[in-house]
Amino acid sequence: MNPARIAGLVDDRPAEGVFRVHADAFRSQDVFDLEMRTIFEAGWCFAGLECQVPKAHDFFTTRIGRQPVVVQRGADGRVRAFLNACRHKGAMVCHVQAGNARTHSCAYHGWAYDSTGANVGIKLRRQGAYTPAFDAESHDLRPARCESYRGFLFVSLNHDVPPLVEHLGGMAVFLDLVADQSPEGMELLPGPVTYTFNANWKFQVENTGDVYHFTSTHPSYIDVLAGRKAQGAEAPTTYSRFREQALVRGSFCFAQGHSAMWGSNPTPEARPLFLSLDEVEARVGEMRARWMLAVRNVTIFPNVQFAENASLQMRVIRPLGPGRTEMTGYCLAAKGEPREARLRRIRQYEEFFNPSGLATPDDTTAYEDCQAGMQAGQVDWHQGYMRGMAVVRQGADDYARELGVAPQTSAHGGFEMGDETIFHGPWRHWREVLMRAAAP
Amino acid sequence: MTALAEASAVLFAEAAALDERRWADWLALFTEDAVYHVPAWRDETTPTSDPEAEISLIYCASRAGLEERVQRITGGRSVASLPPPRTAHAVSNIVVAEDGAGLLVRSVWTSHVYNVKRREQHVFFSRVTHRLVRRESGWRIAHRHALLLNDCLPTLLDVYSL
Repeated sequence: MNPARIAGLVDDRPAEGVFRVHADAFRSQDVFDLEMRTIFEAGWCFAGLECQVPKAHDFFTTRIGRQPVVVQRGADGRVRAFLNACRHKGAMVCHVQAGNARTHSCAYHGWAYDSTGANVGIKLRRQGAYTPAFDAESHDLRPARCESYRGFLFVSLNHDVPPLVEHLGGMAVFLDLVADQSPEGMELLPGPVTYTFNANWKFQVENTGDVYHFTSTHPSYIDVLAGRKAQGAEAPTTYSRFREQALVRGSFCFAQGHSAMWGSNPTPEARPLFLSLDEVEARVGEMRARWMLAVRNVTIFPNVQFAENASLQMRVIRPLGPGRTEMTGYCLAAKGEPREARLRRIRQYEEFFNPSGLATPDDTTAYEDCQAGMQAGQVDWHQGYMRGMAVVRQGADDYARELGVAPQTSAHGGFEMGDETIFHGPWRHWREVLMRAAAP
Repeated sequence: MTALAEASAVLFAEAAALDERRWADWLALFTEDAVYHVPAWRDETTPTSDPEAEISLIYCASRAGLEERVQRITGGRSVASLPPPRTAHAVSNIVVAEDGAGLLVRSVWTSHVYNVKRREQHVFFSRVTHRLVRRESGWRIAHRHALLLNDCLPTLLDVYSL
């Protein structure tokens, strides 16, 4: 592909106060193929949590980009990742979402692999009249790079990437704000929920940091909360009183396309974590505890998001095509939290985050309406990137300094500013990676 | 009337109310403290079972939760709920057990949902258990448990698809 085509999809002129994205970035198959080959299949992607593989030989299966992957803890305690494709004919050797297995035997011709992916058996090898050329090849499942930051597992199909901590940069602090919510660590509650939408994956990336959409996309959810309050039956959530105070909302863009939206929380008492606040403050300090209770919607580019507003959701993005995406949502919970906190967490999670809840369906439907609308060829350039441009600054603002992170850009303002500069960092990174790959 | 006939009448009434979008009639079939539960799946073979420790697709601890959903579906302020989808529910394989508390009714539901805006259709299929209790006005649903079998959700799921 001609790099000029990629360059021409993001109109980034900060000095002139302009930032626009072309619809082809959302709708073109050639752009999608390049995204898969570069961002997803040659860079770090989120794979899962170490708590999904606590014991030796535990594994789970996933996809990195389009490619099937097994993530497994070996007998030595190390977690590895390898492609879920038999070296003989390419059949998947592992057919279940998760389990425990010392070996994976291919159900087609019987080649076998151990829990590190090493080949431990080629059926009837001696009788096979193989040539020395065959013997000279590795028959192991193709390894991927796998690293953990505090139990968050990332995989790269390309071994030649910087260390994970370097890739995460300031996002590590946002993972700390999740990991440190309980002295016992975090757990995934049973019941991951998977759904699809007929729209580009980047709508999901953007929506998670999009403050501006909330009041117009979710009035029906806001009505429900208002109705509960009127009846005195309010089970408060983060959004129960979102308009009652002068709320601050801010955003950070980090290197590597990561971004974080944050906001002050008018109802910290609604959070499950609030019931353990004394313990948390004593352990992590007042400042970090306050940031834990803040609204935080973060994207670790390209495929994992942690949304902590009503409850805490970990969502994994799996692009299926330029106009189709699969999502899996997980409820992350503080291990050992009080029963009342757990109940509150589960009900808040279900009604806000589930695709069968009261809010997410309006988001996914809006993405699909965008994907359909983007077929309108005479409105190729969209104007949804310029709120907040008059206040965004290079580097850290006071909030970033307080948290101890060094973003590339920071912006903050009132709830109603609805900052859109949070999208700039991901797009700049996207353009840089794709242009590098498109260069002849 | 046999217990089977009485239970079938309630289930068919529920299906018809959903299909005809007679929401007040649908809500009236439930007791005030009715539990409405659609579990998620832990893995390939095991649904979640404890709504206080695991995630459900939908869990309403009382009819009030269903009333909120109806308000959202009919209020005109949810882009996901408009235009209204057309649905046809088929209820079959009804088996009834009678006990001191009322009727425990097992059935299979096939819900055809047509999204008019997108011209797309989906079929959702569930194994449903109703707990029916006798009230002066007739049988009412005290507990509805729908085990949705095809749980990779296309865009969204709401009560009219179950």
